[in-house]
Amino acid sequence: MSPDSVIEQEKIVKECESLMKQLYTECFENAPNFGVREECFKNSLTTSIKKYLYRSPDDNPTLEEAQKFLKSIQLDDLFLALACANGNERAWWEFDQQHRSYLERVSRHLASSDLNAQEVVDLVYVELYGTRVVEGERVSKFATYSGKGSIRGWLRTVIWHSLVDLHRASHDSVSLDEMTENVGEGHAHSNFAEMDLGGEDQMMDQVTKDRYRNATVSAIQSAFTELDSHEKLLLLYYHVENLKLREIARLVEVPTSPLRAWFQRKSAAREKNPRSKIHESTIMRWLEKTYKKVLKSFQEELNSKHNLKGEEIDICIELATQDLANPNLYQNLATN
Amino acid sequence: MNNKGRMNSNEIKIQGLLDVFLRADSKTNSFETTSEHLDEDTLTSFVEGNLSEKEAYPITNHLVSCSFCRHITAELIKLDYAFAEDTQMATVSEAEPTKVADVLSGILSRIFGNSDSAVFAHQEPEENNPSDSKKDEEK
Repeated sequence: MSPDSVIEQEKIVKECESLMKQLYTECFENAPNFGVREECFKNSLTTSIKKYLYRSPDDNPTLEEAQKFLKSIQLDDLFLALACANGNERAWWEFDQQHRSYLERVSRHLASSDLNAQEVVDLVYVELYGTRVVEGERVSKFATYSGKGSIRGWLRTVIWHSLVDLHRASHDSVSLDEMTENVGEGHAHSNFAEMDLGGEDQMMDQVTKDRYRNATVSAIQSAFTELDSHEKLLLLYYHVENLKLREIARLVEVPTSPLRAWFQRKSAAREKNPRSKIHESTIMRWLEKTYKKVLKSFQEELNSKHNLKGEEIDICIELATQDLANPNLYQNLATN
Repeated sequence: MNNKGRMNSNEIKIQGLLDVFLRADSKTNSFETTSEHLDEDTLTSFVEGNLSEKEAYPITNHLVSCSFCRHITAELIKLDYAFAEDTQMATVSEAEPTKVADVLSGILSRIFGNSDSAVFAHQEPEENNPSDSKKDEEK
């Protein structure tokens, strides 16, 4: 980061101080016995501003953006987390009362056995309190919570990571891929769906087939690359992560979701009524449009880059369809 | 997927091809992410839709290329959906607060056994000042 950017960053933080003070006062009035000091609160908010608004060296947020960011923080959750990080008894008691049963339910939902679930909850509690001491100070996991998401959502993520760690500890040689697929619902969807398709065209020689296959992989890769990030991510959620349409709809439905904002830009009707519900059928229509877009781009690529005519493009698609019965073939080509 | 009735045959075929390609590509190339994985705070903020479009842009890019983080967000979305009905809020009882040291001692005892090493050495932070104590009494 350039010296000018650092100066600008410090200036924005300085200009946000009065708002930070106001937010602190509100939190303190709600929970005076949490013992969170103003300086600690401001430090946390400053760290979050730097983390989220200055993610890349080119980021240059306005004062309004910084203030909007601060106002989006879930203050009560943050105040509780800061108090817990400081070891405040009352805060820990409230945390335990409000969130322990939820932690246990989530853990039971994710873990393979009740024993594992209890073990994870125990580990999470220890991590939350912090047993590691750095430069004379105990490091609590709570100190990494910014208040940008809800504390329950954050706890779910912490539990998830703890389960992955627990799985890793008991399976030394397991890759990250296998590990994440074996925790939660992922393990249920790890196999390719096999399609019942026709036999191979005996008339076509192997060299021609390989040429078409390579062109097909190159074109599908290119067509996917041309999509924007949101389109790619939603396709990956649907095809690779096996999210159901209703689950994607829920992700997009959150009023503040950046994915929802993207959907709204694509839909004039939704722009007029931004709070309207997003149904599974909306996601389905969006997927259909994306497949059309990918097909168009795929055909153009085969035509312009590989000099294939319409009939040959049809052969590519047909051959690819037949090959879907043996997905490993495309897996091998994709790695080349 | 039950939308095949509205797509022509080539679109249905490209859907199948895309499906195989994405799964294959995800299992081979996408783990080669050079950047660090996203932390819990960022993952949560993204899944809950609490990031602005500008804030989410680098996160979305990361999730496209990092299957590890993407898989976690997908599982968190599933969890969020599964727990959507779970609006039951725990009520705060009026019982005497349990000392955090007691709670953690119990947990550590379960993890390490009932040896002396499991005793949790809790210390109140020194920064507690008299005004805080007074406020505690008031509450």
